[in-house]
Amino acid sequence: MKRSQFLILGFLPAILLMIFLFVLPSLWGIYSSFTNMALLGKEAANFQFLGLENYIKLFKDSAFYTSFFNTIYFVIGSALIGQFLLGLIIALLINYAERRKIPGRGIVYGIVLLAWINPTLIAGFQWSAMYDYYYGTLNTFLKFLGLPKINWLGSMPMLSVIVANIWRGTAFTMLIWLSALKTIPIELYEASKIDGANAFNRFRYITVPMLRDIITVNLIQITMATMGAFLLIWAITSGGPGLKTTTLSLFAYRTAFESYRLGYGSAIAVIMLFLNLIFGVIYIRLFRRR
Amino acid sequence: MKFLVFISFILIIIFFGIPFLWLYLSAFDKEASAFIKMPNFTLSNFIEAFREYNFTRYLINSSLVATITMILTILIVAVSSYSISRIKWRYKNAFLYSLLLFHSIPLSTTMVPIYGIMKILHLRNSYLGLILVYTAMQLPFLIWLMKGFFDTIPEELEEAAWIDGCTYLKALFKVVLPVSLPGILVVSALSFLGAWGESMLILILVDSEKMKTVPLVFYEAMRTVGGYMEVRYELVSAFAILFQIPVVILFILSRKLLATSIVPGVER
Repeated sequence: MKRSQFLILGFLPAILLMIFLFVLPSLWGIYSSFTNMALLGKEAANFQFLGLENYIKLFKDSAFYTSFFNTIYFVIGSALIGQFLLGLIIALLINYAERRKIPGRGIVYGIVLLAWINPTLIAGFQWSAMYDYYYGTLNTFLKFLGLPKINWLGSMPMLSVIVANIWRGTAFTMLIWLSALKTIPIELYEASKIDGANAFNRFRYITVPMLRDIITVNLIQITMATMGAFLLIWAITSGGPGLKTTTLSLFAYRTAFESYRLGYGSAIAVIMLFLNLIFGVIYIRLFRRR
Repeated sequence: MKFLVFISFILIIIFFGIPFLWLYLSAFDKEASAFIKMPNFTLSNFIEAFREYNFTRYLINSSLVATITMILTILIVAVSSYSISRIKWRYKNAFLYSLLLFHSIPLSTTMVPIYGIMKILHLRNSYLGLILVYTAMQLPFLIWLMKGFFDTIPEELEEAAWIDGCTYLKALFKVVLPVSLPGILVVSALSFLGAWGESMLILILVDSEKMKTVPLVFYEAMRTVGGYMEVRYELVSAFAILFQIPVVILFILSRKLLATSIVPGVER
């Protein structure tokens, strides 16, 4: 056997498996999105072609717009503001504490990381209990302070799942920043300190320009991951009350598996895939430039 | 300034720590509730969780699926990332970037079509289906990761082995893999954890009683939280810890390796 043949044979199994899980479903999704296929019943086997009807219906469907904007709120709140800023702040604090030997940095690092490696379903369970109206820790605490109870999952469901997702996902950004900050030569900071720059200016004029590409890559990564968040929201609110926390991925799931409209659900999946591809291509372009 | 940093640390620890403190206290409490309190200490929750949720049965399913997934993933990742590292091919970069694309698109995007494909192929409710999906799911990232390891190993190493009469495959397993053991350990840990903890696709891939895994049964146990029935927080918390233990142990064991390699985009 020639060496080149060995190498080609070598990544054949991987290619086949990836086609099976990534390419095939996308193609089948596009195909079924043109049909009225159902999950169960007679339209599961005997479905008809509808052409673009699902898409036309989708763009007139108010539930689609609701879930689209919910996705945007969720991404802005939990990824772009929450995880990004909190992850950055924690990384800067740990970095600062390391140089000045302030105690507690190991515990902070460990516990933020624990929330991230913790299976998402458990996070959902923990936060469901935190938000529980009658006995939850948050409301017990409010009562202790003499304040009225808040119906977290009823009156501010989106904010509640956003906070839970910040809790779960901040570690990723923290890790990126911690390793990125180490790449900046410390002499730069010291030189500018002598020149009289304060902490904010050092951050603005040294850290940000040096790490600009990492910032963008990080932002796109957490945006894509958060756009696709499913399990945490599903575990805490199931998308409710009503459609209030239904993001696109929950909308697709509920359409296919609660309303049994597989074809319509596929159309939503295709739209999401399209959005993801746009972000993905930008991400790869940035990644290549570095 | 030092004081300010210290105060922020305490706030961060409170925010991230309280849900865990609640979980761990509840699991050892005779009558746990949704709020945090000192437990009326007992270990019986764990024993009862085993009985109540028929845990042994699902533990076997989960361990089986995760272990076979891990072995299969190691084999496939070893051979394929070695190949992609050594091959000279015009579209090599395009291939590598498509891996990155596959990795960055969340599986929840195509969850509905994945259900459709798996139904057509009769792979729902089967070990084979779960193992194939869980293996494929992690390939893009792990191949990308492992290729980086192989790139740093000089080709002279294998060439010497060929001259000694090793086949290509033998040279890979006898000479190249031992040198890249840290990478293989990361791949093992991540593939095992990925299969063990996967809780989203399992919702659409399994509905038969005998194929359920630990995450799916945990999901069913915690669903009562929504207020359909009274939740037995002490049991579900104990269950959560049983579900979480392998993750935490494996993570601590491989922490140093993971911290440097788990985050794509900051490879140096």
